[in-house]
Amino acid sequence: MSIRFGRTELPERQARSLEKAVRCEWLTLGFLAVFIVTVFLVMGNSQAMKAAWIEDLLSLAPPIAFLFAVRIVNRPPTRRYPYGYHRSVGVAHLVAGVALFAMGAFLVVDSASGLFAAEHPSIGSVQLFGNTVWLGWLMMAVMALSIPLPIYLGRVKMSLAEELHDKVLYADADMNKADWMTAVGTIVGVAGIGVGLWWTDAAAALLIASSILRDGVKNMGAAITDLMDTRATTFDSSGPHPLVDRIDGHLRSLPWVLEAGSRVRDQGHVLHVESFIVPRDERVPSLESLEAARDACVGLDWKIQDIVLVPVAALPREVGDSTTGRRSERNR
Amino acid sequence: MVGFMRKVAVCVVFPMLAAGLLTGCGISIPADPEGTLERVRDGHLRVGVSTNAPWAETRDGAEPAGIEPDLVRKFAATLPARIQWSEGGEQKLVDELKRGNLDIVLGGLTKDTPWAEKVAVTAPYAEATDEHGETHKHVMATPPGENAFLLELEKFLARQEVVQP
Repeated sequence: MSIRFGRTELPERQARSLEKAVRCEWLTLGFLAVFIVTVFLVMGNSQAMKAAWIEDLLSLAPPIAFLFAVRIVNRPPTRRYPYGYHRSVGVAHLVAGVALFAMGAFLVVDSASGLFAAEHPSIGSVQLFGNTVWLGWLMMAVMALSIPLPIYLGRVKMSLAEELHDKVLYADADMNKADWMTAVGTIVGVAGIGVGLWWTDAAAALLIASSILRDGVKNMGAAITDLMDTRATTFDSSGPHPLVDRIDGHLRSLPWVLEAGSRVRDQGHVLHVESFIVPRDERVPSLESLEAARDACVGLDWKIQDIVLVPVAALPREVGDSTTGRRSERNR
Repeated sequence: MVGFMRKVAVCVVFPMLAAGLLTGCGISIPADPEGTLERVRDGHLRVGVSTNAPWAETRDGAEPAGIEPDLVRKFAATLPARIQWSEGGEQKLVDELKRGNLDIVLGGLTKDTPWAEKVAVTAPYAEATDEHGETHKHVMATPPGENAFLLELEKFLARQEVVQP
């Protein structure tokens, strides 16, 4: 597999990050497979254990989506897919988000009804090496063992997600965080049953479920807005992507440019840029100066490959508005 | 997310720890929310029996007979507790168990009984093959969530050698 996103050759640093992310995701899948089986064996009647188990099952979706997307995104654009395959990341993100949302909603209803019906969860025992052992101890032990690795994986993935501008990886890092917090919640819930408080289990399950639901709403929202071609945002969807201003700034600094503004959408990993340029004195720029401007923009960052420069008489409103202040300053 | 979970930690973990410390000295884990085990010790063990020979059989004018009543008599002796027998259909007995009016229900129940949704069932204490050649794992039913009592009964049953009928 050559290290690239479609036509975008990755710089060495990002290429290494991508390899590391792929290794990380395989490690995650291996860990989850072992863990899902173990939890199933000790699950018993605990609502919180059930919620934790379903969350782990769902945690499989983002790594699988990521590994799929990385393979598909590798293909260069074709006549049939002229924008390339980058959007597969957006599709993967949407799939992961909807799965989280649906499961979170189901679990909230399930654990809330258990809580209101005052169902007392029963946890019995298992035979272990000839001893009768309360299953609650095993549940807590399994959950405690599941805490360290997701903390580590989540941190690594979060930094790789920023490096690679990969929102699926970001969603997955978020899920890892939810995973280990779920484990803590489950331990509290089962310990509560242990000391005779029947409601702690359902309450812990409700908290876990609402955190799954929150993740679902957040990721589904981000995926939908990206598919709606909202302006490009940073990897964590926290604000507009800084490259948009850098592109506009560079174009405005050119001697033949009077005014410039860009429409930038996130294709998944890479950005698709349409820059509108108003030339000075209404003079149509030469091919050389357009090419030079384009190459300079591409040189700004590896995420910019697909850029279209359009000389126009006046900026379209949607790219001009945010720069109104600066424009009036320049006209002064 | 982090901020949210931190709140969770403050709202749940610390009160739990505090509760654990307060009750920690005298409590054994697991405990019964309704205190069943405490109540039956030196008291009455209320056992409901639904006929399902050879596992459990009610008899007019005599104590119930069968594999399960025999086991429960031995169990009661270990507590110690005196047994109050009652009889009825499974539906009625399970309802009473759920309401907390019974402590054990016997009736040749198996591990995949639908009653497990409503009440607690013990770990299987015996296996038996029926006339259709299917193997069933036999269990008893206890009140939902009374985990100390459930564990006490399971520990007792694990020590018993039950001869397959």
